[in-house]
Amino acid sequence: MFGIRSDLPLRRDTASRFVVWLVMVLVFMASLAVTVNSYIGVLIDDWNRSVTGTLTVQIPIAAAGDKASAILVNKVLDVLARHPAVAKSEAVPRAKITALLGPWLGNSEAISDLPLPALIDVEMATEGTEAVTAVTASIKAAAPEAVIDDHRVWLNRVMSLAQGFGVVALTIMLLVTGALALTIVFATRASLAEFAQVIDILHVVGAKDGYIAAQFARRALVQGIIGGAAGLALYAPALALVAWLASRVDSEVLPDTALPAAHWLTLAALPLAAGLLAMLTAHITVRRALSAKV
Amino acid sequence: MALGRKKAEEISGDAVGLEAVGLHYDDGPDVLKDVSLSIPQRSFHFLTGPSGAGKTSLLSLMYLAKRPTRGNLKLFGENVTQAKRGRLAAIRRHLGVVFQDFRLLDHMSAFENAALPLRIAGVGEAVVQRNVNELLNWVGLEDCKGAYPAQLSGGQKQRVAIARAVVNRPKLILADEPTGNVDDTIAMRLMQLFVELHKLGASVIIATHNESLVARFPFPRLHLDRGSVSILPPLASSAEFDHDDPRG
Ligand SMILES: Nc1ncnc2c1ncn2[C@@H]1O[C@H](COP(=O)(O)OP(=O)(O)OP(=O)(O)O)[C@@H](O)[C@H]1O
Ligand SMILES: [Mg+2]
Repeated sequence: MFGIRSDLPLRRDTASRFVVWLVMVLVFMASLAVTVNSYIGVLIDDWNRSVTGTLTVQIPIAAAGDKASAILVNKVLDVLARHPAVAKSEAVPRAKITALLGPWLGNSEAISDLPLPALIDVEMATEGTEAVTAVTASIKAAAPEAVIDDHRVWLNRVMSLAQGFGVVALTIMLLVTGALALTIVFATRASLAEFAQVIDILHVVGAKDGYIAAQFARRALVQGIIGGAAGLALYAPALALVAWLASRVDSEVLPDTALPAAHWLTLAALPLAAGLLAMLTAHITVRRALSAKV
Repeated sequence: MALGRKKAEEISGDAVGLEAVGLHYDDGPDVLKDVSLSIPQRSFHFLTGPSGAGKTSLLSLMYLAKRPTRGNLKLFGENVTQAKRGRLAAIRRHLGVVFQDFRLLDHMSAFENAALPLRIAGVGEAVVQRNVNELLNWVGLEDCKGAYPAQLSGGQKQRVAIARAVVNRPKLILADEPTGNVDDTIAMRLMQLFVELHKLGASVIIATHNESLVARFPFPRLHLDRGSVSILPPLASSAEFDHDDPRG
C-alpha cells in the first residue's frame, strides 16, 4: 500500500490544498480538548483526595442523658479504631467545641453547662469514596443517630461540573473526528472529479481500484500527518499561555499538578491518528466512488 | 523483441466473442445492431467503415470502457458482461489499447507514459528500463524519451501511445487509427511492430480509414456499416505480403 510512486498529478491538485489547513485547525481543537479532559481528570482526583481524606462525625445529645452519650461516643471510637480504612480518630474535646461556639454564645459560664453534641474527627487511611462509604456504614451500624459529614454534597456538585466539562471535551473530539472525515470525503471526491480522465487511463492500462485508492489514501495520510503536526505546533504556545495564566490562580482551586504521561502520549499521537483517519476515509471514498463506475 | 514477461496463465477461447451485441448512447440510435462476431486468438483484423460508423464504440466495448446495451461480450472465452470490477481489471491487463486521441498522461514524460503498464503491474525497474527503452527506440523516439506530451508532435504522441499499449505484451491489441498522424514510412514501421506482436501470439484489431495501408497487408477486414459488421477478405494476398516485407 505504501509504494513510493504516484501516478496522479497530485501536486497540481487544487481541490484539496485546503485539507492540510483544515486538519491543522481540527487537530489544534482536538489537542485542546484532550488537555481539558486530562486536566479535569487531574482536578477530580485531587479534590477527591483532599476531601475524602477526612470525615466529621456528630453524635447528637442522647435523650437518655450524658452518660448514654459518652457510651455511644466510645462505641463509635472503638469501631473507628478497628476500621482498616481509618488512620486516626479522636473525639473533639468539649473545651474546643465551646471555644468554637464562643463567638456566637459568648464566654459565659453558662455554656459549659449547655448540652452539646459530641464531635469526632476522622482521618482516613484509605482514599476514595468507597472507603468513606464503608466507614460511614460501620458508624451507622454502631450509632444509627450519628450524623456524618463527608463533604460529599459539595464534592458531588463540583464533580458534576467537572464531568460536564469532560463531556464537552469529548463532544469536541467527536465533532473534530467527524469534521475531519467529512473534509477528506469532499476533498477526495473533488480530486476524483478533477482526475477522472487520468483515472480512466490508469484503469485501461491495468490499474485496479485498490491501486488507485492507495494513491489517494497515501496522500491523505501525509496531509493528515502534516496538518496534525502543524496543529500541535499551534497548540504548544496556546498551552504555554494557559499554563502561565493558571499559575497565577490560587493553588487551592487549581492544583499545580503535572498532567499525566498518557496525556502527552495522546497529544503526540494526534497527528498520526489524524493521518490514519484521513487515509482510511480517502481509501473508502475512492473505492466506493470507483465501484459505482461501469 | 524481448518485450515484457511470459504470462503463466494460459487462456482458451476466442480472443473476442460478440453475441447479438447492441449498443446505443443514451437516447441515440443504435450504433451496433445485434452484432455477432468471433475473433480467434492469434488473428489479425482491420476494422474499417465510414467515419461515425461506430469503430471506436466497438473497440471501447472490447477494452471494457463501456458495457453493451444488450447481448453478451466475451473476452478470452470469459463473459465480461456480468463480470465483477475486480475481474475486469485483471482482464484489462491482457489488453493493449491505442486510443484515437492518444490519451497520454500530461504530467508524465514519454518514457513514464510508456512504462506505466509495467510499473502498475509491479515489474522490476531494471526490466522496465530495458523494455521501455528498446520499444521507444523501435518506434523512433530515442531522442524524446524525456519529453512531455505537450512538447511532442501528434505523430510522436501516437508512437508513445502505441509503445504504452504493447509494452506489457498484451494478448489482445486494440488500436484505433494508430497510424493516423504519421507519414507512410513511420506508418509501415508501426504496422511492422503490430505484425511482429501478432507473430509472437497476440490478436490484433486495427481500426483505420487508410485504404492503402489496408491494401498492403493480407489481413481480413471487419467492415462496420449502419450498425452491422461483415467480414471481408484481405486486400493483399499473403504471398505478396511475404515477398513484400515492409521492413525491406
Ligand atoms: N460518448 C458518446 N455519446 C453519444 N454519442 C456518441 C458518443 N461516442 C460516439 N457517439 C456516436 O456514436 C456513433 C459512432 O461513433 P464512433 O466514434 O464509434 O465512430 P467511428 O467509427 O470511430 O468514427 P471515426 O472513424 O470518425 O473515428 C457516432 O454517430 C457518434 O456520434
Ligand atoms: Mg473513431
